[in-house]
Amino acid sequence: MESRMAEKTSMAGNSGLSVREIAIRYGFLTLLVGLIIFFSLATRGFTSPQAAVFILQSVSITGILALGVTATLVVGGFDLSIGSIATSSMMAAAYVMVVLEQNALVAVLVCLAIGALVGLINGLIICYMRVPDLLATLGMMFLLIGLQRIPTEGRSIATGMTLPDGSTAEGKFSQAFLALGRHRFDLFIDNLVPASVVVLIVLAIVIWFFLEYTRFGRMMYAVGSNERAAEFAGAPVKAYRIWAYVISGVFASIGGILLAARLGRGDIASGNNLLLDAVAAALIGFAVLGAAKPNAFGTAIGALFVGVLLQGLTMMNVPYYTQDFVKGAVLVVALIFTFALLGRKAR
Amino acid sequence: MEISRRLLGKMAAALAGATMLLPAAAGAQDKPAPFDNPGEVEIALVRYLSTGDFFQAYLSGVEAQAKALGVNLRVLDSRQDAALQADMVDQAIALGVDGIIIQHGLTESMKEAAQRAVDAGIKVVAFDVNVENDAVPQIEQSDRDLARLALEQAIEDNGESWKAGYVYVAGIAPLDRRDETWRQFKEKYPGIEEAAQFGTLDNPIANSVANQARSVVTANPDIQVMFAPYDEFAKGVKIAVDEAGLSDSIKIYSADVSTADISAMREPGSAWVATAATNPAVVGEVSVRALAMLLAGEEPGKSVIVPPTLITQKALNDGDIKNMEELAQKLPQFAHADVAVPAWMPLPPRD
Repeated sequence: MESRMAEKTSMAGNSGLSVREIAIRYGFLTLLVGLIIFFSLATRGFTSPQAAVFILQSVSITGILALGVTATLVVGGFDLSIGSIATSSMMAAAYVMVVLEQNALVAVLVCLAIGALVGLINGLIICYMRVPDLLATLGMMFLLIGLQRIPTEGRSIATGMTLPDGSTAEGKFSQAFLALGRHRFDLFIDNLVPASVVVLIVLAIVIWFFLEYTRFGRMMYAVGSNERAAEFAGAPVKAYRIWAYVISGVFASIGGILLAARLGRGDIASGNNLLLDAVAAALIGFAVLGAAKPNAFGTAIGALFVGVLLQGLTMMNVPYYTQDFVKGAVLVVALIFTFALLGRKAR
Repeated sequence: MEISRRLLGKMAAALAGATMLLPAAAGAQDKPAPFDNPGEVEIALVRYLSTGDFFQAYLSGVEAQAKALGVNLRVLDSRQDAALQADMVDQAIALGVDGIIIQHGLTESMKEAAQRAVDAGIKVVAFDVNVENDAVPQIEQSDRDLARLALEQAIEDNGESWKAGYVYVAGIAPLDRRDETWRQFKEKYPGIEEAAQFGTLDNPIANSVANQARSVVTANPDIQVMFAPYDEFAKGVKIAVDEAGLSDSIKIYSADVSTADISAMREPGSAWVATAATNPAVVGEVSVRALAMLLAGEEPGKSVIVPPTLITQKALNDGDIKNMEELAQKLPQFAHADVAVPAWMPLPPRD
């Protein structure tokens, strides 16, 4: 992480763009536009407002998780537990409403509290117990995958389910909660933009502004680029790092809330695919605008890029296994782009 | 040993729930050896898959039938670790159990383990895994029949010619068997046009399939029938169809059922109109009964097939069925299967 930050600072000194710099800076965005044009020509129905919206919807949950993990990448850490935080929060939302028969607000608050608490524990383990970030969050991932299944003995949660004590769960998902995943706002066309897309866009803007323009966010970058220097400068490094994990946990739990609202039930799932897709989006984000560092705008574009690609391929009837291949290929290219091209330029 | 048995007993009791009455005590003399003294009999369930509604219900069926017989049950769960599952069979052999039920697994790893158990004089039955051993009866839910029932209903509802979307992931044995039936149907009814095929097992499956299905219905808005022969697929397709506002023009046919599926099928205006399913609890009961027949020196047959039931949205609404328990009560053919039931066999209480 340190070396990448150094590259970034040396880059900032250059002005006047060469062809290669333009390629580095706008290559990914050009590719994205090219893809959209290609799919518009190759498939029916790709160029409609509805299609644009459901591409955003398909990446909204992984996008939100990716924005959270970006915060931990910024401080030079990593969070492997986001996928399982999301599924735990989904199970918690379902449990609170279906089994405990509480309302939507309670469910949302419980989920956010779980996300913040798990993030806090991650941060404390990493900063004060000196456990490496990958290992601490890996452990948390397993812990949560198991924990989310304990209250229901491994069953999915839905209205009418039989509880371990033999009685039947009478509670149901409240309409207000389901609206988080299903309500659509009018934008030129009636019922166009789903709430989850709005949440994604709002969170993207908030975290982008927070990381780029607030003192707190800039200090997080400073901690990530050189922890010791930040410490000598008097920054409470541990606090910044712990906050990064709390942000990541809260974002993941928001993703889980939207997932529960979309599915309308608490589905047991490991969330590993959510994790991988989110991390891929955040890493692809490194290459956007030649940033070569974790950044919220890049992460959002990275998520969008994967979404456009996958939805376009599905519309062209391309089988699922090639989609994983394509996802992987994009990630590899983006990483080569980030490390090789930008690395050479810095020297 | 005592503690673990007591614990298992408690678990069984908790799962069976308060509604379950004690099995009617049949005269011990009526039953063939070794079930004249069932407390001495110990059987092991060696599992490969265990998380999810289906496997939970399967286990409850195994526990209910074991309790009805009065035998001791030991559950070994390898959690999708093929090597560990083979070790667990060896562990069961070492423990000196009388019978083993192998639940899922890979042929490659279980074939030799099953042979070792047979060589040790232990009776073995296998559910949904082919161990290539003549001494080991296969318990099967008939995947071909599942697909056939759902597709016959689709033909009945929509006629013989329609445009279809098909959800499928290759390489999963039950899905492959269901796929065979789908292909036969397409040959038999040339009017069926498969406009799109998609599918994924990315976790959470319903969410990933919903994203795909959303693209598919946008690209092919004239699809009339979605064949999603696995309930997680069907859930995902339903989400996409609802989001696209196409619930009126698309009908979803699937396989498998759970409490959550029932509520999804019963939502007002739900596009999910029918599913074909075998009751996993019944499959669990049949597994234990087939093993008990072997232990008593009887022959359950090389393959023991548990027949599926067609469950339509209409039937669910007519019976006001909200969960699996009510489904079993109101569709008796779903609750019980008269498979592997010799006269002496004590059955779990039926209400």
